[in-house]
Amino acid sequence: MTLSRRDFALTALAASGATSLGNPARAEAEPIRIGWLAALTGPLASPSIGFDRGVRWATDEINAKGGIHGRKIELVVRDTQGDPTKAVNATQEVISRFKVHAIWGPTNSGELLATSPIMARAKMPSLVAGVVNSLIDPVKYPNAFRVTPSNNQWDAAVRNYTINVVKAKKVAVVADATGYGTAAHDDSVAGFKKAGIEVAYSGTIDPAQPDVTPDLLRMKNAGAEAIVAWTVSTGLASRIMNARAELKWDVPIVGHPVMGSGDVGKLVTKPENWDKVYIVGYKSCSFDDEGKLPPRTQAFVDAVQGKIALNDTSLWWVVSGVDSIRLIAEAVEKTGSSDSDKIIGYWNTLKAWPGLYGTYSFTPEEHNGYQTDEIVMQKANSQHDGAFSLAPGYA
Amino acid sequence: MLQAILAAGIAVGATYALIGITYNLMFSASRVMSFTAGQLGMAGGVLGALFIGRMGFPVIPGMILALAGCAIIGLVTEFVAVRPVLGALDQHLYVLSTLGLALMIQQFTAIEWSTEPQPFPRLIGIGEGGPFDEKFWLPVVACAATVGGLEYLYRRTLVGRAFLAIAEDNFAARALGLPERNLRMASYALAGVVGGLAGFASGELLLAFFANGAMLNFLGFVPVALGGLGNNRGALIGGLALGLFQQAANFLVGGVFASVAVFTVFIVVLLVAPQGLFGAPPSRRV
Repeated sequence: MTLSRRDFALTALAASGATSLGNPARAEAEPIRIGWLAALTGPLASPSIGFDRGVRWATDEINAKGGIHGRKIELVVRDTQGDPTKAVNATQEVISRFKVHAIWGPTNSGELLATSPIMARAKMPSLVAGVVNSLIDPVKYPNAFRVTPSNNQWDAAVRNYTINVVKAKKVAVVADATGYGTAAHDDSVAGFKKAGIEVAYSGTIDPAQPDVTPDLLRMKNAGAEAIVAWTVSTGLASRIMNARAELKWDVPIVGHPVMGSGDVGKLVTKPENWDKVYIVGYKSCSFDDEGKLPPRTQAFVDAVQGKIALNDTSLWWVVSGVDSIRLIAEAVEKTGSSDSDKIIGYWNTLKAWPGLYGTYSFTPEEHNGYQTDEIVMQKANSQHDGAFSLAPGYA
Repeated sequence: MLQAILAAGIAVGATYALIGITYNLMFSASRVMSFTAGQLGMAGGVLGALFIGRMGFPVIPGMILALAGCAIIGLVTEFVAVRPVLGALDQHLYVLSTLGLALMIQQFTAIEWSTEPQPFPRLIGIGEGGPFDEKFWLPVVACAATVGGLEYLYRRTLVGRAFLAIAEDNFAARALGLPERNLRMASYALAGVVGGLAGFASGELLLAFFANGAMLNFLGFVPVALGGLGNNRGALIGGLALGLFQQAANFLVGGVFASVAVFTVFIVVLLVAPQGLFGAPPSRRV
């Protein structure tokens, strides 16, 4: 067959028409790209590995159902190794090169302090999982929304429990001598004083100090009725528990979740040294007196049975990862757009959105979305399947 | 109360003293301040926990294996970080080479072992957490045995006298036909054993933790400076004094202020007696 000039012109016209018609279809099918900046290796990797399981499960779940308005979710994952410098590079890379529509992570405060200004400059919708109070500021960072509690909220939960359930009139506030520990210590002391509780002892301890008996003696001599401990060091946490037992001092220890980690369980000299230690936790991920999780969480645990390992991680990390992907997907679904101002605008109106990890509410003035009353205290030595039992005092 | 402070103070003091002696052993054989001393202590704890706690060896074979491992680290230090820079001691290149090796040992442990402190097994099972618990007196026993053993070695044996000869005057000793290189290597292996013993004996107190190395490097150096470089008895007294003072400061002022107090006293002592409390002022032939 010979191709006449007329046929050629018609074919070319048809082809160009098809191309131009195809463009909107392709735009619609453009994936929703989510930058997932995770410390997947290195000393701070444990939380990110847990978050990652939830992130991937939620992504697969949404994509299996055909995505959002026909658009699949595409994760752009970068391992920051917990290093702020690498986190900054990864943030710039996912924004400039991959043109992501939203970012989840990095998941620790040190990295977030470095990356937040970059994300704010790019007006990048971002979900924040760091506890440092200053990470959230709707004026400086109108793009950043916290989906985990802030340090203030943890502090309030510990204080309320110590005052209302333990009924301590005099407390000892102790922290490790790191940047985080010192800041948490100062906030905690100020909070107790404001609440009219006597702080009988307050101090920071070097996490490498081999024996903390002298420090606990000071607390005991000062008449403290509870120890409030803010440390991310498993070594220090277990030394405090061991010294308490050696002094035969029967006061509760209330504080940071790291006191419930399996490493502490290995470091206490006797299992009973781990009793009467209560850590910050979440209602959504707590077993009640009958050993049951809340129905919403239980349904998730049943659904992922055999698909996600929960026995070597914290359940809250996993469900928080699920919630974050769903929050981004929800914003695109409701607004029909992945534009940053649409996503940010939608999140600003979110009211009591029922996630697995918590119920989130945001307003343009308040970007701390987690509800303080969903933070509870848990028994530090009660972990199984990634969750803990509620501490005594909750009906 | 006083008992608790004394027990913990003497125990950590004995550990610092042993690290101080480790510094001295390496220094007297080579005139090099090797910053791997603290890492040897850390390795003693980690290897002890590995062999006895994880691999299930009985205590004595586990200890021998841990100390042998530390002796090998001592030999590696000599070969990798000391021997190549011996020719340029006045340029202090050893600071860089030994510090570099120390960091490598620390990072390797962090990657292969754990970044979190790991439990160290109960070795004998004496004392239930009181001031007479084995975790407090094992370092003291280890320290006494080491000091006694070294005194015996130096004063009663030919090899010990050869060590002293090398320490006293390297060139003269070589001129007399002493095998200086072999003796130096033996000294580094011995330093490895002593450093490893410090970490092994205090394992129940310090735990098997990769970051202990840096802490021991620092606090083990204080008794050396207080007691005079190369003076083991000075290191012993300096170490015990440091441990007791540190624990007392923890009780009296607590936390970071305790560290400030420790180093204030350290600086004041060095200002008053720059050669150390027990060191003789250096004499110079004019």
